Amino acid sequence: MTDEVTQFTVEFTVSGRTIACDADQFVLTAALAAGLKLPFVCRRGICGTCKSKLVSGKYDMKQNGGIRPREIEGGMFLPCCSKPLSDLVIEK
Amino acid sequence: MTQATPDLRALLARRRPGYTLEAPFHTDAGIFQRDLDIIFGRHWIHVGVEPDIAEPGDCMTVDIGPHAIIVARDDDMNVQAFHNVCRHRGARLLYEPKTNVGNLVCPYHQWTYGLDGSLLFAAHMPDDFDPGCHGLRRVHVRSLAGLLFVCLAATPPDDFDTMAAALTPYIAPHDIRRCKVAHSEDIIEPGNWKLTMENNRECYHCNGAHPELTRSIFAEGFGFAPVGAEAEAQAERFHTLVGTLHHDWEQGGLPSREIDELVGRPTGFRTERLPLEDAGESETLDTRVACRKLLGGLAEKRLGALSVWTQPNSWHHFMSDHIVSFAVFPLTPETALLRTKWLVHQDAVEGRDYDLANLTAVWHATNRQDSALVGKAGAGVRSTGYQQGPYSPDTEGLVEKFCAWYVERMVAGLDS
Repeated sequence: MTDEVTQFTVEFTVSGRTIACDADQFVLTAALAAGLKLPFVCRRGICGTCKSKLVSGKYDMKQNGGIRPREIEGGMFLPCCSKPLSDLVIEK
Repeated sequence: MTQATPDLRALLARRRPGYTLEAPFHTDAGIFQRDLDIIFGRHWIHVGVEPDIAEPGDCMTVDIGPHAIIVARDDDMNVQAFHNVCRHRGARLLYEPKTNVGNLVCPYHQWTYGLDGSLLFAAHMPDDFDPGCHGLRRVHVRSLAGLLFVCLAATPPDDFDTMAAALTPYIAPHDIRRCKVAHSEDIIEPGNWKLTMENNRECYHCNGAHPELTRSIFAEGFGFAPVGAEAEAQAERFHTLVGTLHHDWEQGGLPSREIDELVGRPTGFRTERLPLEDAGESETLDTRVACRKLLGGLAEKRLGALSVWTQPNSWHHFMSDHIVSFAVFPLTPETALLRTKWLVHQDAVEGRDYDLANLTAVWHATNRQDSALVGKAGAGVRSTGYQQGPYSPDTEGLVEKFCAWYVERMVAGLDS
């Protein structure tokens, strides 16, 4: 038996890589699994090390103070604690 | 050539009231270190204003001698202060004078602290590592109606509350918390920090040095006593104005009378609401308000300038339309940082409600004139020909009070 899990694509514009990310998977987890080298430390939305610019797409983020509302308004997000709600394009 | 540090205790004991301090107080590296320890390490030091950190996550860095500090606004809108030093390897956390953060993250190994200073995250530490023992070191911080003060001592002087009780009714109508910092400037003055303070505590020099400032202020409000018929007539006009305006202002709910608590207590202060010349509205070139939107709930433009001084390192002028706030920080034995901030109502719009050049013209010019004077005093004091000179009993009584406060606090500090 297999569960149907929605999958999205995540494009990294700087490295030129496009990966798949399950809807219930953190973007950072999927990127690391695909062999991308991204900066991260806490993986819990606390330290902000993985902060990245989102070019397009929607996500669900459960952060813990690692990013300010005004940074989010400015297009930044934390891949370590964000799951995709659509295909994503990230400036990384 | 190096000189031995003179005996500070002996210099303090032989200080001659009414005379300038001996040269080593303005030049000696050893005495400078004791100033940093006793004066700046154990007293309430003015560091900024609440609008410097208006929003949650706003942080301001301040260096008080060797003490690097972060003053922050937490998510509950409380003001917090910490040493700007990571508890891991000691790296400096923040460098920007002003920034907005989520958590405080050390750039070295990403140890992450909440805005309450608690350590939230540290990777690769063993199971028996206790984050609760590794929060940022706290610094005492207090807000006096929006003026921020820190104290680095474990046990700060206990008289802050009496200063706050006395000054708050004077300052509160200007509603610092609903202001914004329209402009800030730093000047490195070429003299010991005490020369900067002494220069501020008298207006003997104003007529000769400050053509812009004296368009609006009366030197008499800063301890100046007149000599000669014309000056006496001017002083008479000033004192008549004080009598009339103090009455009017106090009837209108604005405490105005002088309170002088500069000496005899750790947290010395002074205040008085002072009339201004001509239109009497503001310390501007035309003596009229520089900002159309008045502060707080004020409706009257002609409120003179509320003067507030705190020992050891600040002075402030509160007008109906703007506030100019000054803080002095020691840098080296013979240099000091003068940080000046111009505050207007938070809703005032530059270009519509105020012109920045007009707002800052008087004190921008006056600061430069004062800095040059401090440099001349510093240059003379370090020369071999310097000997102590007498303060004018008429016009420099408040300089004497600054020196008397300094000496009494240094003696108390050496004895404790």
